[in-house]
Amino acid sequence: MNIYVQAANQISIQQPLCESWLTEPVEHREPFVRAIDPDFRDYVSPVEGRRMGKLMKRALATSLKTLRECGIDQPDAIVTGTGLGSVESTEAFLLDLCQNGEQLLKPTHFMQSTHNTIGSLVAIQTKTHGYNATYSHGTISFESALADAYLQLRAGDIGNALVLGQDVTTERYFHLLELIDYVGNGMDGACGEASVAAMLMADASDEKTLCELAGVKLLHRPTTDDWQRALEQLGVLSDGALADDIVVMSGENGHPKNDELYGQWLSRFAPKNRVVSYKRWFGECFSASALGFYAAAHWIHANRARYVILLNIGREGSSAITLLKR
Amino acid sequence: MSSIVITGMGVVSAIGIGKRENLDSLRSMRGGVAPVHYLATEHRECMVGEVKLTNDEMRVRLGIAADEASVRTSLLGMLALDEALADAGLTADDLRQTAFVNGTTVGGMDMSEQHYLDFLSVADATSLKHDGAVNPIDYIRTHDCGASTDLIADHFGRFAMTTTISTACSSAANAFILGARLIASGEFSRVVVGGAESLSKFHLNGFNTLMILDQKPCRPMDATRAGLNLGEGAAYLVLESEASANARGAHIVGRLAGYGNACDAFHQTASSADGEGAFRAMRQALQRAGIEPSAIDYVNCHGTGTPNNDPSELEAMHRLFGDGKLPSFSSTKGFTGHTTSASGSIEAVFCLLAMQHGFVPANLNFSAPIEPWAVPIGQTVEKPLRYVLCNAFGFGGNDTAIVLEAGPQPATPSR
Repeated sequence: MNIYVQAANQISIQQPLCESWLTEPVEHREPFVRAIDPDFRDYVSPVEGRRMGKLMKRALATSLKTLRECGIDQPDAIVTGTGLGSVESTEAFLLDLCQNGEQLLKPTHFMQSTHNTIGSLVAIQTKTHGYNATYSHGTISFESALADAYLQLRAGDIGNALVLGQDVTTERYFHLLELIDYVGNGMDGACGEASVAAMLMADASDEKTLCELAGVKLLHRPTTDDWQRALEQLGVLSDGALADDIVVMSGENGHPKNDELYGQWLSRFAPKNRVVSYKRWFGECFSASALGFYAAAHWIHANRARYVILLNIGREGSSAITLLKR
Repeated sequence: MSSIVITGMGVVSAIGIGKRENLDSLRSMRGGVAPVHYLATEHRECMVGEVKLTNDEMRVRLGIAADEASVRTSLLGMLALDEALADAGLTADDLRQTAFVNGTTVGGMDMSEQHYLDFLSVADATSLKHDGAVNPIDYIRTHDCGASTDLIADHFGRFAMTTTISTACSSAANAFILGARLIASGEFSRVVVGGAESLSKFHLNGFNTLMILDQKPCRPMDATRAGLNLGEGAAYLVLESEASANARGAHIVGRLAGYGNACDAFHQTASSADGEGAFRAMRQALQRAGIEPSAIDYVNCHGTGTPNNDPSELEAMHRLFGDGKLPSFSSTKGFTGHTTSASGSIEAVFCLLAMQHGFVPANLNFSAPIEPWAVPIGQTVEKPLRYVLCNAFGFGGNDTAIVLEAGPQPATPSR
C-alpha cells in the first residue's frame, strides 16, 4: 500500500500558509525570529482566539487549512509531534510558581502546558473521536508522529491521518538554548518557530497529491553501520552511497557542532548529491524537521526533485530519516 | 492481531521497589499514599504516593556518578527498566535490536522548577555559582520529555530507537500501542514500553488549581470520592513477537491481546458524561483482541477518584458490558496515587501480577457505591484471570485501553 502526502501547510518565519518561500524567501539576519502569523479569523473566532496561546491558534490554522484542502472534516487519526508543547504557558506557570510560591496559581496556564492539548484541541474543534496521540522527543518529535501514522496507514487500520509538528520559541527559551550552546552564539541561521500540518492518505493519489511518503526511520545514537542499514531498508543506496537523483533535504543550521555531524554524513553517503539546507529559510527549533518535511513535499510537487531524503541528525543522539518521492 | 507476548517487566511505585514488593502490597492491601515527605512543596498536608527513596539513594542503587545530571523521572525509570531487562534476560548487546518507547509528561520539570530563576538570570553557562557537583545549567538539557527518556535508555546501552509519548495520564498505555505496531510491522521483534513520572511542584500545583486533589486518601469508584492523590513511579514491559520470544526461549509472562485509542473530543480536562472516548477505546481493544465483553475477567479502571472521571468511566463500562454484566473491577490508585504518565504501565504490571498469582487487587478505601452502578472489588480476592482490561485516560480526552491475556500456563490461585 502506498502512502501519500495529500496536503501540507506551515506557519513559520516564512510567509504563512503559502509557498512563496519557493521563489521569494524572506531573509532573516537576527539570531532569533518569531513566526509570521497569518490572519487567524478564517480559522479561529476572535473570542476563542483570546483564550488561546500562539501555538494553539497556529495549530488550528494549519490543521484546518490542511483538512479543507483535502475535503476532510474528521481525519481518521490526529498525531502530533511537539518538543515543548505550549512553552509560553509552561513558562508563565513556572515563573509564577518560582517567584510567587504555591498559593495563588491559576489553572489556565497549567492546562495548556500539557503537550497533548494541541492534538486534543484539533480533535475537540473537529469533533474527531479517532486515534489521537502526541510525541515529545526533542528534535525527532515530528518524525515520531509521522512514523506512528505511517505504520497505521500501512497496516490498513486507518485511511488518512493528520500529522502535526508544532513548536513555539520564546525569548526566554531562546536564552536557555543559547546557554547550552544549542542555538545562537554566532550561528548564522536563525532560531525560529514551526507550525506544520500534513495530511497523509493511503492509496489516494490524484493531481493535488504532493508526493509519496515512502518510508520513515527513527534511529538512536546511530553508527555508520546503522545509517547504512536504514538506507538499505529504504532502498536508496547505489554502490554504497545515495543514488544520484536523490536530493538531500538537510538540517544544517550554521552551528558548527550541528553542521559537523551533517558534514560527516553527507561526505560518507551523499558525496555527489544535491543538498538543500531548509533551515536557511525556516530556522531551527524542535519541530524544524516538520518544516523540512513540508518543504520536501512541496519541492517535489514543484518538480524540483524526484526523490528527497529528509535528513535529521540530532546532537543529542536521536536521529531520523524520511524518504519522499514523486 | 498477531501474537505479541510480554517477556519481562519491572515496576517502581509508592507500594514498593520491584515486582515482589508491589505484589506483596497488593495482596496484603497495604497502600503507599501518605502526607508528602520527599517533594519540597509548601503543601505539606497533601496526600501523595511517593516512591520511598531520595534521588541520592536512587543514584547509589544505580551507580550514577554525583556529577552526572539526572532527573527524578529518569531515576525512577532506570530502576524499573533495570528490573524489566533482567526479567526478560536481555543484555546490553540485545538493546541494539530493541526499541524503547517511553511515556512521560513531567520529564525533567522537577529540576527545572528548582533552577528556573537561575537559568533566567545568568548570562552564560560558566557564570553560575553552585555548590553541587552538577552545574544547574545542565538541567536545561534534561528538561524536555525526550531527554528524560534518553537518560533512562542510555544508562543500559544503546537502543536502536527511542521515542517519547506525551499524552498526559495515558502516555504509558499509548506506548503499548506504538510498541505493538512496531512489532506487527516487522520493524522490530522486541520493544520495551512503559512510562515514568516523578512528582513535581509544577503539576502538584497544577492539579491543585484545578481543584481535583483530595486532602484525604483518595476513594476511587466511591460515592464519597473528592478527588485524586498524585503518585509517582515507573514501569516497563518487554513486548516481543512470539517467534522472537520462542527462538530465544524467553519466559512468557502474558500477552498483549488488544488495544484501543480514542479521543473523547469533549474538553481539555474533563470527561464527557457518556464516556464516549473511554467507551470507544475499550470497545476497540476488545475487537482487536477478538473477544466478547463477557470474556473479560477483571477491569483495572483508570478510576482516579475525581468527581468527574469515575462516573464517566462507569457509564462507558456500563455501555460496553451491558446492564448488570460488569466484570470484577477496581482502581488501584488507592495504593499508589495517580501516577499520571506512568499509570498505564504500572497498572498493566499489576494486572499481569494479578493474572500470574490469581487474584483481583482491591479498590482501597471503598465504602459506598456510586449509584446506580455495581460495586468495585473492595478486598483483594483470589480469582483465576485470563483476560484483563486495563484503562488509562488522559487530559485532552486521550483515552486508551489495553487487553492483557494470561501467559500460556494460567496460574491457579496460590497463597
